[in-house]
Amino acid sequence: MSPERRVGRFVEDLLRNRRPRRFRATADELAAMRAAAELRASRPGADLPDPFFVDRLGRRLREELTGDAGGRSLTRRRLLLGAGTAAAAAVAGGAAGVAGDRALSAAAGRELVPEGATWQPVLAASAVAVGRAVRFSTGAIEGIVVNEGGRYRAFSATCTHLGCLLSESPDGGRLRCPCHRTAFGLDGSVLEHELVRPPAALPWLHVRVRDGQVEVLTV
Amino acid sequence: MSAPDPVSRPRLRVVEGEHYADWESVYAHNVVAVYRVVFRQVGNRPDAEDLAEEVFLAALPRLRLPAPAASVRSYLGATVRTVVADHWRRHYAAPPAAPLPDDVMAAEPDLPSGDSGGRVAGLLARLPERFRQILVLRFLRGLSVGQAAAEMGVTAGNARVLQYRALRRAAELAEEGES
Repeated sequence: MSPERRVGRFVEDLLRNRRPRRFRATADELAAMRAAAELRASRPGADLPDPFFVDRLGRRLREELTGDAGGRSLTRRRLLLGAGTAAAAAVAGGAAGVAGDRALSAAAGRELVPEGATWQPVLAASAVAVGRAVRFSTGAIEGIVVNEGGRYRAFSATCTHLGCLLSESPDGGRLRCPCHRTAFGLDGSVLEHELVRPPAALPWLHVRVRDGQVEVLTV
Repeated sequence: MSAPDPVSRPRLRVVEGEHYADWESVYAHNVVAVYRVVFRQVGNRPDAEDLAEEVFLAALPRLRLPAPAASVRSYLGATVRTVVADHWRRHYAAPPAAPLPDDVMAAEPDLPSGDSGGRVAGLLARLPERFRQILVLRFLRGLSVGQAAAEMGVTAGNARVLQYRALRRAAELAEEGES
């Protein structure tokens, strides 16, 4: 087959958005094929990804990156407990283990009670001064404990927008997202954001204090 | 919940000095840019999707986050170069060197769609008339070889030869422009 025909077939596949046939190309053919790829991409919109591809790859990456040892059920649990958007999607899809009807309420925040949860100590109660917030990690969840005048509360510490980890502002009083200038109050509500739609309030966890330890209900 | 729309989702500029806190923000900020850079080098959706996936699967586990946004982007850019060069080498017997500028990821993720910077338009403008004509008819107007041949008053075989020569000339011009 002549170079004109081989490259012609390659161009035809590009224009139809098909995966082109593979072959051993000469240097001249390669140069022509690369120019063809760039020309193909120059049509307005041609080089934008399919939203479904972006979504699918995001899920695949979440599985790969959060689903280490423990198999599928742990991965699933982590999904529910992890990034807010992932948890919201899973809940909307009917996953068990989280109070689903609250997931859609942006004002109140959701309650996180995973299946098979037990009380786990996360911090010494004395480590959290009144009016302050302290982060903790259990391996299954990144959380934050707040001391509200002697009453302890706990929230997920991942931003409900894209799952970035929140931290307490230097002066206390708010939880800041490092990614998009979103801030949450110590009650989990959204104080400020620059997003098109306000993110959901922070999901909250059941808390108790036993023997000077703050315990949360989690896996 | 419907699939997120990467095109209409608000794109927040990551300004110099900012950090990516976790892989989700790395992905959200860079998936469109990575896909577009890859697409421009392979020119078809199935390959572009596979290679973009390969880039993220290879790069994300190796990132130590939080990390400065600029270094994450240059690492993604280096991964794109490797993955795309390997694609051409495995499937089309290309030499292993990756013909890509170093600042490939320095561009903002939300570049305008289509012929960015008028690079392709500039190339086309420098081509001889017949070469430009065949490429415009095929790639920009989307005509078949037969339709393009009819419009140019040549046979389909001639149109195919013209197309090949035009692409080679365009590649030469592109190389001259870079060096």
